[in-house]
Formats: sequence, C-alpha cells, structure tokens
Amino acid sequence: MDSGAWGLLIQGAWTTLWISGISIAIGVVMGLLIALLRVAKIPVLHQLLGVYISLARATPLVTLVLFIFLTAPTMGVNLNRNVAGIIALTLNTTAFNAEIWRSAFNNFSKEQREAALAIGMTPWVYFRRIMLPQITITSLPGLVNEMSFLIKGSPAIAVIGVVDLTRVTNRISAVTYDPLPPILAAAALYMLIISLLVWLQRVAERKASRLAV
Amino acid sequence: MPETAAVSIRNLSKSFDGTEVLRDVSLEVQPGEVVSILGSSGSGKSTLLRCINWLEQPDRGDIRIDGDRIGVSDTGKPMSRRELAGMRARLGMVFQGFNLWPHLSVLRNVTEAPIHVQGLSKAEAEERAMALLEKVGMADKREQYPYTLSGGQKQRVAIARALAMQPKVMLFDEPTSALDPELVGEVLGVIKDLSKEGYTMVLVTHEMEFARAVSDQVVFLDKGIIIEKSHPSEFFENPKTDRVRRFLEIEAPTVPTV
Repeated sequence: MDSGAWGLLIQGAWTTLWISGISIAIGVVMGLLIALLRVAKIPVLHQLLGVYISLARATPLVTLVLFIFLTAPTMGVNLNRNVAGIIALTLNTTAFNAEIWRSAFNNFSKEQREAALAIGMTPWVYFRRIMLPQITITSLPGLVNEMSFLIKGSPAIAVIGVVDLTRVTNRISAVTYDPLPPILAAAALYMLIISLLVWLQRVAERKASRLAV
Repeated sequence: MPETAAVSIRNLSKSFDGTEVLRDVSLEVQPGEVVSILGSSGSGKSTLLRCINWLEQPDRGDIRIDGDRIGVSDTGKPMSRRELAGMRARLGMVFQGFNLWPHLSVLRNVTEAPIHVQGLSKAEAEERAMALLEKVGMADKREQYPYTLSGGQKQRVAIARALAMQPKVMLFDEPTSALDPELVGEVLGVIKDLSKEGYTMVLVTHEMEFARAVSDQVVFLDKGIIIEKSHPSEFFENPKTDRVRRFLEIEAPTVPTV
C-alpha cells in the first residue's frame, strides 16, 4: 500500500469517526431524555416511545439506513448521504441508550432519594445533584459497550454511498487488485478506536466500584 | 399566648392497601422536648415518623410544624414540590440505613443541602459542616467516602448532614437498628448530647434504656393506636396497660429494676 492508499484509509477512518461521534453524542443525550420521559409514564407518549424503542432495536442497521435515505425524498426532504447516515445511526443507538438509562433509573436507590427529599431538595435538585452523577458513572460501561457496537455497525452507512473506513478498502483494492492489506489496515484502525473506548470503560468501572456501598 | 408546638399531629390515619397502620393518632411535641415512639414491629411507629415529613402521605388528619401545615397548602390543595421541600427543610431526618450519598465525600454529604437548598456559599457551608463533624467526632474523616466508614461512623455523618440544615426538629427512625452491637453506643452518645443541647427530637427506637434516659415523653403504639403516652419513669415503672407490661417484659426486662 502506498501513501495515497493510506491517505484514503485515514479519510475513511475520519468519516467513520465523525459520523459515529455525532450519532453517539446525540444518542446518549436523547437516550437520557427518552428514559426520563418513559420513567414519568406520561400516557400515550409512554406507549409511543415504547413502540419506537422496540422498532429501532429490532431493525437491522442497513435496513434502517436504506429506509431513511429512501423515504425522506418521498416526504419532500432531500437528505445528504451523511445526514441520512447520522439520522439512522442516531435512531438506532438512542433506542439502546434509552434502555440503559432507564434500567439505571429503575435500579437507583430509593433510600438516597428519601434522604434527598427529607433534607429539603426538590425532585429536580435531587436528580441533578444526587442521581445523575451516579447513574452516569454506573451507566457508562453499558453506554460505552453500545458505542463500540455502533462503531462496529457503522459500515451499514456504506449502503447509501458514504465512504467510511470499510467502504474505502474496496476503493483501494479496486486500484491495487490486492484486497487483503487495506482490509487488515482497516481492521487495525477499528481495533484502535474500540480499544480507546474499552480503556474509557475500564476507567469508568473503576470509578463505579466506589459507588457500591 | 401558649407556645406553638414544634410538631402537632391531629387525628392522623393511614392505610396501606386497605390495612390501617395508623388510626386517629394525635401527638404534640413541644420545643426542646424529646419524644420516643415505642412499639413492636408493625405497630406503625416508623410510618408515623415518616408522615411527619410527608415521606408517607396520611389519608386523614393534619400535621403542623411550628404551626404551619405540611403537605397541604392554605388553599387546601396538595403543596407544590417547592413548598413541600421548604417545609421538609425544617425537619432533619436520620434513617435506619444511614442513606448517605455514596458519590460524595463526608464533607460534601454535609454541605450538599446547605449549598444547593439554602443557597449558602461553599465557605459558609464548609464552616458549618466542620463544626458539626467536630461535634459528632468525624472531622478527621471529612475527605473519606461513605464506603470506607463503619456503620456507626456513617450514622454520625448522617446526623451531621441533617443538622447542617439547622432543622427545628430532628426525626430519628431506628437510628441504631442496623448497627453492630458494639457500634450502637457511639451513635446513642451523639443523640444524647443533642438532647442535652435542647434539640427537639422525635425518636423511633428499640433501645429501651436509652429511650428512658433521654425522653421527656414516651408514646406507645399498638396496631396503629397510641395506647400509652406518659413520662418515661411512669411508662417504665408503672405501665397502665397489660400490653405495655408484656412489651417491656420482652424488650426491657432489666429496666424496671433501677
């Protein structure tokens, strides 16, 4: 592989990183909001969100990406490939994250809540100061796990023509007629990205162990 | 003008799933008074205490703190979250299971509510917290996290945390029941010191000798009804009912022989 091929690979890796990064960032926050709404059990909304989560979790990523990209124009929206990819990845990861946050809410200690209310905290202050810092740390292992699943699932966006880290290997081998080196290089780059996440997860788990009273 | 009761409970009733746990309970706690609520498990004593700060909502009756009704606003509607939080801030509560916040150090556990509920500056809150941690003998542990502490140490921090809000009344819900026997003394010692300082306290406990030593008034609950309300010496030496006599024979066989 020459420097040109490496340049393409790095570009592909960058595409994978920024598209996944934006989806993860939105997905973590949206997941939290949806979990909050679900815990509040607002009629109708609760069921609607439940349907969304079930559908998003049951749909293969490739199918979801194609669906978004192909249906948007029929509704009069012209989506750029990258945006369509981000929307699909976000819809997918948000649903999984919402379930991770929700189980953290449901498992959170009732005793700590009572101590907070008894001392005069409003539910909002309790959420912000007592609950959120702790469930963030305890949810991190699950969230990081989901992040790495998303990155590994992100080649699905190649189906609509986004040139990501996997797709780019095709382009390189189309020129070099030697598919193995770019695939191996791409695999190494995926491992680098995932190992960064795994390292983050380990740090989080160490912090979380302190919360086990 | 007669002094306003620190806590005034009138005709309180409460059921859980159709089972009545409190029946028409009335009780007044005067400022500076220490009241112990005794009774067998299931008698409703913890529920009564938890109604005082509205952690449980009574079905009937009313509760006033310093003359102000808790849980129900002047218009008769349930209090807003903010109003309720304001009323609760006047009451300190100590739980059987300590309920410290594990992500915060000892010092932060104590300063959290003064800073984020009362709006104190960090410096003011820390000054107040350190004085209280000194009082409960935990000042040297201020940077430690709850998981490093023994049960007795946790409970002393929990007491400092409640005191940091400068409550009008302290509520203790079986504060030593979760402790190893050798750690009970250090917690009871702190509570006893508070009673000497004139704190108004309502105490649910199984420590009979302690209740006798610190209380100005003892209340005995049986199946959700107050069946005796008297001075501790009267209560422990001349119980008026067979029910209390039987209870004392089991719970405090040594007490009457002082």
